[in-house]
Amino acid sequence: MNILAIETTGKYGSASVIKETGEVFSAISTEEMNHLKGMMILIDEAIREAGIDKSELTHIAASVGPGSFTGIRIGVVTARVMAQMLGLPCISVSSLEAMAERVLDAAVSAGSLYVVPVINARRHQTYAGVWEAEFTSDYEQKTLCAVMEEKQYMIEDLLAALSSKIAELEAEASGRAQSLKDMLGNAVFFTGDGIDAYKEIIESSLPDGLYTFAGEELRYQHAESVARIALRKAKADRVLSYNELMPEYMRLAEAEQRLKAGTLSDRIRKPVQI
Amino acid sequence: MKDGRFLTLGIETSCDETAASVVADGRFVMSNVISSQIDIHTAYGGVVPEIASRKHLERVNDVIGKALSDADVTAKDIDLIGVTYGPGLVGALLIGVAAAKAMAYACDIPLVGVNHMHGHIAANYLEHHELEPPFMALIVSGGHTEIVNVPAYNKCEKLGGTRDDAAGEAFDKIARVIGLSYPGGPKIDKAAKEGDPESIAFKRVYLEPGSLDFSFSGLKTQALNYLNQERQAGREIRVNDVAASFQEAVVEVIADKAVMAAEKYGQKQIVMAGGVASNTRLRALIEEKAAVKGIAVLKPSPVLCTDNGAMIASAAYYAYKNGEEPTLELDAVPGLEF
Repeated sequence: MNILAIETTGKYGSASVIKETGEVFSAISTEEMNHLKGMMILIDEAIREAGIDKSELTHIAASVGPGSFTGIRIGVVTARVMAQMLGLPCISVSSLEAMAERVLDAAVSAGSLYVVPVINARRHQTYAGVWEAEFTSDYEQKTLCAVMEEKQYMIEDLLAALSSKIAELEAEASGRAQSLKDMLGNAVFFTGDGIDAYKEIIESSLPDGLYTFAGEELRYQHAESVARIALRKAKADRVLSYNELMPEYMRLAEAEQRLKAGTLSDRIRKPVQI
Repeated sequence: MKDGRFLTLGIETSCDETAASVVADGRFVMSNVISSQIDIHTAYGGVVPEIASRKHLERVNDVIGKALSDADVTAKDIDLIGVTYGPGLVGALLIGVAAAKAMAYACDIPLVGVNHMHGHIAANYLEHHELEPPFMALIVSGGHTEIVNVPAYNKCEKLGGTRDDAAGEAFDKIARVIGLSYPGGPKIDKAAKEGDPESIAFKRVYLEPGSLDFSFSGLKTQALNYLNQERQAGREIRVNDVAASFQEAVVEVIADKAVMAAEKYGQKQIVMAGGVASNTRLRALIEEKAAVKGIAVLKPSPVLCTDNGAMIASAAYYAYKNGEEPTLELDAVPGLEF
């Protein structure tokens, strides 16, 4: 198994090749928003690093969003056409899940229970999801379990939901000798560029010491974690044909929203009556 | 290569048509697949860039696949890929560019980027197999009204262009206010056939003497004022007459300037290109005016006037044959100049 994974939903594009053993070879752009120009070069680099020929690829995986609409499309269309031309199956990976995967080790080390990737969608909007980090007692096996739907949240709504999760934990912990903070540590582990945009809102909404932020080296999208999820999906045969690999925008185009809501300007929708 | 012929795949996604085509030896159309989104954008009264980008992504694989199968070839037979990299809507362009690059890489096929406007001119090579530069080109579309001297393949010297609205844009706007739906150009053309082009005296805007530029905004304002006056006077708008008179005012100036440019530069041929080159009145009038001066007028059939992959394949073929370096680092350039 040699899976090519493409990640273009964030600022820096990247490509990885993962082998059946879990060994990963990656190339990441050093230029911001250079996805279109740079992607084939990154893909070629990752394939060369892996010491294989592109004819030896077995699957093409893409991070399908949410994230930048344009970025999503570049990755998805690249994956679709490569898969079509090479006759390979595709694997769809959520950008949010891949971001959670990327920080899982760090989150478990920090003693966090919830991993929360947050993508800035501007004007207090985010794309986010909440995963519970599960691990064996020896910390050898770590897995993610989704506990809140991946979707568009207002940052305030997301934080309110997390606050009530913390309150539930508090209720469970009450009556025990240990302090809540000792019990829960950094219960919530945030990652993603939502931190950069909404750090102050997060800090003023959640109790001190019950959350922490991913370091910048792990905070942003990277094809490596897309590849890891893709490998698990490939082994479970959760594959798609190239035509089934679709973007996950999580949001209608603005004009579609307005058409649906009936607020698309009459002037542009109908011919003007004289 | 197939049967000794050099095969180019052309991909075009600069606006609202997802298109791909296989062309042999830069001249012979083997397949020409165009998936139009017009039905989708009609609900919005014009092309919505974000929706266009989404639809291109959903359709581009099938369009390329069908272009190959219609031509009875496989990707292995393709010698060159050409793709529009500008001008156009950036989000739409990048679907074609990303798809072309992925295919070029996966199948080890050289890729060259094509200027959409060069493509429109190259559409003529596909139907007039003896046509070679030099010639004078007239490009008229929803986004362009340009007179271009073409001394050699893919060499373009812009001599004049619109200072405000493109001809097609002016047609769309007037069509909208007289109750004809989007896209306005073909509807105006049709309505004008039933109308009297002399019934309303719309002005002809020639700008400074000798200028090869265009301006249609004053004419548009005049037409809007006329319509308001008629409405206020309680008179019924004669849609066919307005369409005919407005169209005449636009195409007469275009025809005059194209012929003037050809004369000035000593060109014996005028080559038409772009969506508005399908306008039947423009075609007739320019032929009439050029014939008087002994100038030939060539134009593609309507299907090759609209955005299509075949014209991109032809332009790519000549760019490649003339030494353009293939690249996998192509970027989309929405504001690409000639």
